[in-house]
Amino acid sequence: MARTSTLSFDRGSLLLHPPPRGKAWIDYATWDDRVEKFRIPAISYRPLVESLQHESTRFTDEARAFQVLSLESHFEMTPYPHQREALAAWEEAGGSGVVVLPTASGKTYLAQMAIQATGRSTLVVAPTLDLLHQWYAHLKAAFPDVPIGLLGGGSRDESPILVATYDSAAIHAETLGNRYALVVFDECHHLPGDFYRKIAEYTIAPYRLGLTATPERSDNRHCDLDHLIGPVVYRRSPAQLAGGALAPHRTVQIKVHLSAGERHDYDTHIATRNEFLKQSNLSLGGAEGWQRFVQASARSSAGRRAMNAHRQAKAIALGTESKLRVLAELLARHYPEQTLIFTHDNATVHRISERFLIPAITHQTGVKERHAILQAFRAGEYRTIVASQVLNEGVDVPEASVAIILSGTASEREYIQRLGRILRRGRDPNKNAILYEVFTQDTSEERTSARRHPHTRPHHV
Amino acid sequence: MLPGDLLIHSYRGETIVPRRVPLDSHHRQLAGGLIETFRLAHGSTQAQLDSTLGELEGDSPDYRLRRGLVHLLKSFCTFEVISPLEPVKLRSRLFALAATGTPGSLHTEHCLKQLSGILSEELERAVFPDQIRGALYADLSQNQVLTQFEEPTPDALLHRYNLSQVQGVFYRATHVQLNVHRNDPGEYKYLFRFLKLFGLMTYIEGEPEHGFTLTIDGPTSLFQAHTHYGLALAKLLPALLHVNRWDLTASLKTRDPYSKAVRTSTFNLAAGCGLVSHYPPGKPFDSMLEQSFFEQWQTLKTDWRLEREVHLLPLPGSVMIPDFRLVHPDGREYILEIVGYWRPSYLQKKFSQVRRVDCPRLLLALSERLNLEKAGVKLDNLPATIIWFKDKLSAKAVLQALD
Repeated sequence: MARTSTLSFDRGSLLLHPPPRGKAWIDYATWDDRVEKFRIPAISYRPLVESLQHESTRFTDEARAFQVLSLESHFEMTPYPHQREALAAWEEAGGSGVVVLPTASGKTYLAQMAIQATGRSTLVVAPTLDLLHQWYAHLKAAFPDVPIGLLGGGSRDESPILVATYDSAAIHAETLGNRYALVVFDECHHLPGDFYRKIAEYTIAPYRLGLTATPERSDNRHCDLDHLIGPVVYRRSPAQLAGGALAPHRTVQIKVHLSAGERHDYDTHIATRNEFLKQSNLSLGGAEGWQRFVQASARSSAGRRAMNAHRQAKAIALGTESKLRVLAELLARHYPEQTLIFTHDNATVHRISERFLIPAITHQTGVKERHAILQAFRAGEYRTIVASQVLNEGVDVPEASVAIILSGTASEREYIQRLGRILRRGRDPNKNAILYEVFTQDTSEERTSARRHPHTRPHHV
Repeated sequence: MLPGDLLIHSYRGETIVPRRVPLDSHHRQLAGGLIETFRLAHGSTQAQLDSTLGELEGDSPDYRLRRGLVHLLKSFCTFEVISPLEPVKLRSRLFALAATGTPGSLHTEHCLKQLSGILSEELERAVFPDQIRGALYADLSQNQVLTQFEEPTPDALLHRYNLSQVQGVFYRATHVQLNVHRNDPGEYKYLFRFLKLFGLMTYIEGEPEHGFTLTIDGPTSLFQAHTHYGLALAKLLPALLHVNRWDLTASLKTRDPYSKAVRTSTFNLAAGCGLVSHYPPGKPFDSMLEQSFFEQWQTLKTDWRLEREVHLLPLPGSVMIPDFRLVHPDGREYILEIVGYWRPSYLQKKFSQVRRVDCPRLLLALSERLNLEKAGVKLDNLPATIIWFKDKLSAKAVLQALD
């Protein structure tokens, strides 16, 4: 009698050898001459195994290295209706699919329920170090008896529940692929990128959960999520949830003026740039105009000078002293309320940190220090945090009631997510969040701010 | 290697041509100048170094070349945190202190003074407010101090730059077709060692008279042509440069940055391309044993030629590269494999290779010192003629086995 066929995992793919009886498996397999065996994409693990079982074909499964966990949650709350419905819809779809919910609607808790329902080794992938730590802290609180590990941000653990950054998970996709039965993709609109998609392609995980507030991508590749994770199984918009998980808020826009010296420097730089544009017959209108400027600037000294002038003008418009003066005033007005400050660039973050002695979080901040800062902020030891883009996506800072944005960039997603962070319902049900947007007069930034608010015109303060 | 934004190439028809700088006086001067800037920057922060480099760059349109050279030079540098107190601790203490009052410049000065008093007492030496201010972010990469610079020569830097530009082309490679012919077995072994190290796979076709064609990609390339192994292929290139005779065609998949359309193209490279490897070279012979046998054979009078142009014998998932090939003018041919090692795992692997391989007649020279029983190796069913030897494999003994 022929030997029993063995299914094994090989660097992001499966080998099935010797070929088993039955026919259905052949649909998934490709003959690999290099190893003289049939090879199958790891992502086909679940349909392959189901088809083998359907035909009652005997085989030994050496591919799966995930385990059954006894998960007793130490952290339970009554789920919101949308969390309960989302879980039911996901389970109904066989445990693979995408859930679309607004930021701050409790996606982490939904994932916790999914992990518990699956009861097997789980990999959670998150785009930033902040989120990495947020998941880590949440899961540690939820499942204190199970080892929770980190991959990325300087850690390289191996544990039945692992939280990884997209970067690290992609780098180690070939070895992680058979260790987890459930993969949770946080902010899963990142997944279809060229480099990240192999996290989903190289894993055999039969259960997959995608979470996002904004699945759509400008390159249309969100359609690939159907194949990489599963279809959208549940979707709610901020309007549909309003009054539930989100707290009321108001937005205040503050326009500041450049000092005379700054104004002069700014005008000089802009004049230098415009002179070059005029001589070269270029205009900055539209995406194409900018491209042509970039190309022209690489070809001559005058072009380089114009590009450098453009950069310096932008820098003046972004990080002016005037904004820091306004900031000082706002900090004094709201002390001791919990306050978050966002700025566009790291240099300004550190300038603010050094000037006001406020803890800073940038992408350069180590995971441990970041965690300690956020802990101290939650505990009320720190009143204020200043951060650059790193806090962009859904980082949970529940106690913040004031947010101050100094010169952001015009990106709708970023804006929604920044808003969501401060609007998160805190322990105080009467909390009224305030969002300040501080921007400079008469520069390209004003247009940026206007683009964010298609319905409201900025008003003067 | 260089990041994508510092790669420079042009197109000649459909062919991609990576930037290659000539080693002329202009470029040697440029490289030498940058090296000197790094040497003089000893003891300054990364930000100071970057600002000096930025000033040097000025309005020069060749800034991408300069930045590429600078990127490579940084891999020769060690930057360290220089601070009297661990910055993370310093920050947490200062910020905790500051959180007790309303933020503002007066409050800042007050807190710095207060902490400098506390620290002076703790450390039993004077710590000034300005020192604290300066050390607050000493651990940020831009504030770290250049303490070591393993200076390359201008030529070595330019060679590394040209190699990195070509390596950059491979980032977009889906697979490489490599033709090799008449190389030393040591060179093949060297190449396959790196192939394995970088997780690549090969499909081997051919025979020793006309050469071999190796298709190099990775496990999941089977299902779809993609660029996941491009980085590994780029890293393989410096190893390939230590092989004598080869040419390759890399199949590329590029995405147009503006239209987002995917297009495929090819890139060709061959031995003698002028690129210089920085990987340490391999050895022509695996051991003294092989070398002395080779030298002995040259003194024999026989029609049998001892060839180092060998077979690459494909094994499922691997390859066997025998040490020698023996060819007779009448067309007879033998493969000679010398086994002088002791490690049990090595022996097991070697013998399982020999059993599985489908090859011409095989001569296996075994050292009498091998403890085959202990290694769990049985000599039954070996498709080979066995020659035992003591310390040194005699050429005559091998000749006897042939006739």
